Amino acid sequence: MRFNSALLVTALCGAAMIGSAAEADKSAWPQHTPDGQPNVEGFWLTVVYGMGCLQNPRAGVGCLEEGEEPGRGTPDKPRPKPPKAASRIVDPPDGEIPYQPWARTKQQYLLSNYFEPTKPEFLDPQQLCLPLGPVRQLTWHDVHILQYPGYVIFEHEGGHVFRVIPLDGRPHVGANIKLWMGDSRGHWEGTTLVVDVTNNNSKGRLSRAGDFASDQLHVTERFEFQDADHMQYRAVFDDPSTYTRPWTFGFDMKRAIFGAENPTKDDAHYEQWEEACYEGMQPVDYSLRPERGGDNK
Amino acid sequence: MKKFLHASILIVAASPLFAQIPRTADGKPDLSGIWQALNTANVDLQDHAAQKGAPAGQSVVEGNEIPYQPWARAKKKDNYANRATLDPENKCYLPGVPRVTYIGLPFQIFQRVDLVTVLYEHAHANRYIYTNGTPHPKGPIEWWMGDSRGHWEGDTLVVDNVHFNDQTWFDHAGNFHSEDLHVVERYSLLDRDHIDYRVTIEDPKVFTRPWNIDMVLYRHVEKNFQLLEYECYGFDLEQYYP
Repeated sequence: MRFNSALLVTALCGAAMIGSAAEADKSAWPQHTPDGQPNVEGFWLTVVYGMGCLQNPRAGVGCLEEGEEPGRGTPDKPRPKPPKAASRIVDPPDGEIPYQPWARTKQQYLLSNYFEPTKPEFLDPQQLCLPLGPVRQLTWHDVHILQYPGYVIFEHEGGHVFRVIPLDGRPHVGANIKLWMGDSRGHWEGTTLVVDVTNNNSKGRLSRAGDFASDQLHVTERFEFQDADHMQYRAVFDDPSTYTRPWTFGFDMKRAIFGAENPTKDDAHYEQWEEACYEGMQPVDYSLRPERGGDNK
Repeated sequence: MKKFLHASILIVAASPLFAQIPRTADGKPDLSGIWQALNTANVDLQDHAAQKGAPAGQSVVEGNEIPYQPWARAKKKDNYANRATLDPENKCYLPGVPRVTYIGLPFQIFQRVDLVTVLYEHAHANRYIYTNGTPHPKGPIEWWMGDSRGHWEGDTLVVDNVHFNDQTWFDHAGNFHSEDLHVVERYSLLDRDHIDYRVTIEDPKVFTRPWNIDMVLYRHVEKNFQLLEYECYGFDLEQYYP
């Protein structure tokens, strides 16, 4: 599959992130912001980084496949096979998205055309550096959580996408306003941030495996902060037009301290720098041209 | 005499020095809120007559003159003639600073002691304006939105911006710069709902001297007003993803 250089560089940056306990007094957790929110500010990252697939994610990028080779390495020192992680579909218990039959057919169609796209609509919008949608965006690069009176804001390093989550109980915007990142309304239940996300345009896919929702999607997210450094994320997908029942997308996140090999306190001064992904894009038809020599695989 | 006194009080109360402005806990002017420029600077920073799809507007350039070097003035002319195809906004690239401020869409400021975050509806652009005393990172770096470091001078937030690329324009009229662009923004609350936004633009490769633009930013006071999205599709996205 083709990455533009900006994507590749940032993917490497993402891989260089090292999760580690923050210099925080666990016994004092949670601290609170001046307006009374549990203070969860900082940089967060999925424990199993990547968005290749939902059922068989692996620690790294992509899906874990049956009989997978160890990957790059030298013959005498092959890179170890990455461990298999739990399915990101935590409900239903079989770990599969409960697609309606037509939707399962569409997902398979999108998947079978993913790596050798012949039409523009087969291109995952992520490959065009467009926003991934509120849930998938959390599986890619880091998210900087900032809290202000009446607001939580997410600044995603990937493609400089952000979410503004008001906590004041205001109503959602009108139903005809469809948004790449949805319309978010949040509230705190103890140390869990609950976010109701409507107005999804659902143009972003859920993975690189053809998974999708419709613009009727209603997501209820629960960011369950367990201590200063760990959070369990759960997102209930409710879309009766596409699925036979609501299902839950879930994964663990950790506080991310950035550094090479030895994170220090200075890593607390990490700054998100510009990731101008879209600006490096070639026109859509470029990605489809056969004379490109197949480097879109 | 009494009448005269009343008049004096009115004059004083109406002056910016005595205007009631919101302040943060540390006493700085509080710029938090959703703001928007209401002018046609994105069409042309200078005085311009109406064109199709682009209303007339008065200059936001102090003195109305942009002091180009001769070669640069010729390039600007060429940019103007070909603006329909050359304006980077058409490709929906990040618009740079200060253009992102007056590109025509609202933006939201979140402020704390060590950081001012600005989120723009246009293309999900965002800026971290660090007010923690840290210097610009060592260059050379070429970013679309540059690197922003701010400090307070009295009640004015002064933001120093460097590390730009040479790919953005200041407006649709072809006003341009090089990668040596240096932008200093000054945000001063005039009252609760208005910011004086004054910008000094310096680029020794392109201009003969620094020059200034000045405009007012207006607070959105509508109930429940919020940022939406303008992904600003540089290709025919609707055709492929209806």
